[in-house]
Amino acid sequence: MKRLIGLIILLITVLGVSCYLTQNLTPQTNIHPLGKFYLQNSYFGQYSAKSPEAVTSIVWDYRGVDTLFETAVFFLAIIGSLTLFRLSKEQSEEAKQGEPKPELPQPVGTVTKVIVAMILAVSASIALHGQLTPGGGFQGGSALAVAPLLIIAVYTKYALEKNGLDKTRAIIIRSIGLLGIALTALVPLLTKGYLMQNQPLFPEKALGVPLGGSLVFYNILEYLAVGAGFTAVFLLLSIPEKRFKKFLEVKR
Amino acid sequence: MIAILWSITIVSLLATLILSVYGIIAKPNLVKKLIALTIFGDTANVIVVLLGYRVIYPVKPPILPHLSKTALEEFVRTAVDPLPQALVLTAVVIGMAVNILIAFAIIQIYRIYGTLDVREVGKLIPTLLRRDKE
Repeated sequence: MKRLIGLIILLITVLGVSCYLTQNLTPQTNIHPLGKFYLQNSYFGQYSAKSPEAVTSIVWDYRGVDTLFETAVFFLAIIGSLTLFRLSKEQSEEAKQGEPKPELPQPVGTVTKVIVAMILAVSASIALHGQLTPGGGFQGGSALAVAPLLIIAVYTKYALEKNGLDKTRAIIIRSIGLLGIALTALVPLLTKGYLMQNQPLFPEKALGVPLGGSLVFYNILEYLAVGAGFTAVFLLLSIPEKRFKKFLEVKR
Repeated sequence: MIAILWSITIVSLLATLILSVYGIIAKPNLVKKLIALTIFGDTANVIVVLLGYRVIYPVKPPILPHLSKTALEEFVRTAVDPLPQALVLTAVVIGMAVNILIAFAIIQIYRIYGTLDVREVGKLIPTLLRRDKE
């Protein structure tokens, strides 16, 4: 009852304040000049990224260095998580010992197989069409990370590790992605451009589809990095709690 | 009518922001603190996206509909601001990664101390340090 009264008071306050604000608040109908510049120049114009999608062209071209450093933050956060849960070689071998036995009815397993294949296709499509439709490397990678999570939930993590995708491999794929981003960012320096600049040496079109120069490379590499990074984290999180307590020698 | 809906949106987002800050400060449980933190981050992101919105009737996403110059003028007139969306896009993934880091730290704290209450964790730390000295 006490909580309900608090909620009602809060709702009345919000409504009252917004009614009061209505008189001197006009909804914005125009965008800032900077936004207008990006809309006009993302495909046509002199400072063009050759991408019909304005958001991707800002993320990887106009404000590319911004995204490069945000990717560095992402890299450090995942490294920090892996460091907190670090295991010695024997321990990580021991953590892999287990039998993949799904205890769920058979239809669940079959449906999961179909859905995992679909998730892989859809996430790749999100990442590869990042310069044409809403989406890109980040979103595609986040969608990709759902597939191993689903396998872990249905078939346990041992099934994933027996089929070759263990923590080390995931970290390697992620490092390849991040290294690729760094190298692609350095390529424009060879032609007297600036760091991460979208130069004409990157392909503009392939098979009649606009690629947006370097945007498509960044999207693919970011897709790999984000997807594999989250996969490594999920693999670590799915180690049984009993086993982890044994590693830590917690007596409590 | 549109003006009042607009102001209700803004004020309720600000109220959510204040409530989540209260949650971060007042809740003793670390998981509840993390939940409040994620709500805070998501609300901040929605506010940033709202900065680039325009209240007109045919409002379009910032994606060029056709690859022809004739469509450009109408596109600039109706599309929303792409810049806040681009900033939020990276902020969401970074937020997710940082939340994972905090979640890992909380799990480790629970394994070592056996509790998630910050007050009890604060009491336990000195005893653990003393045990190491003996």
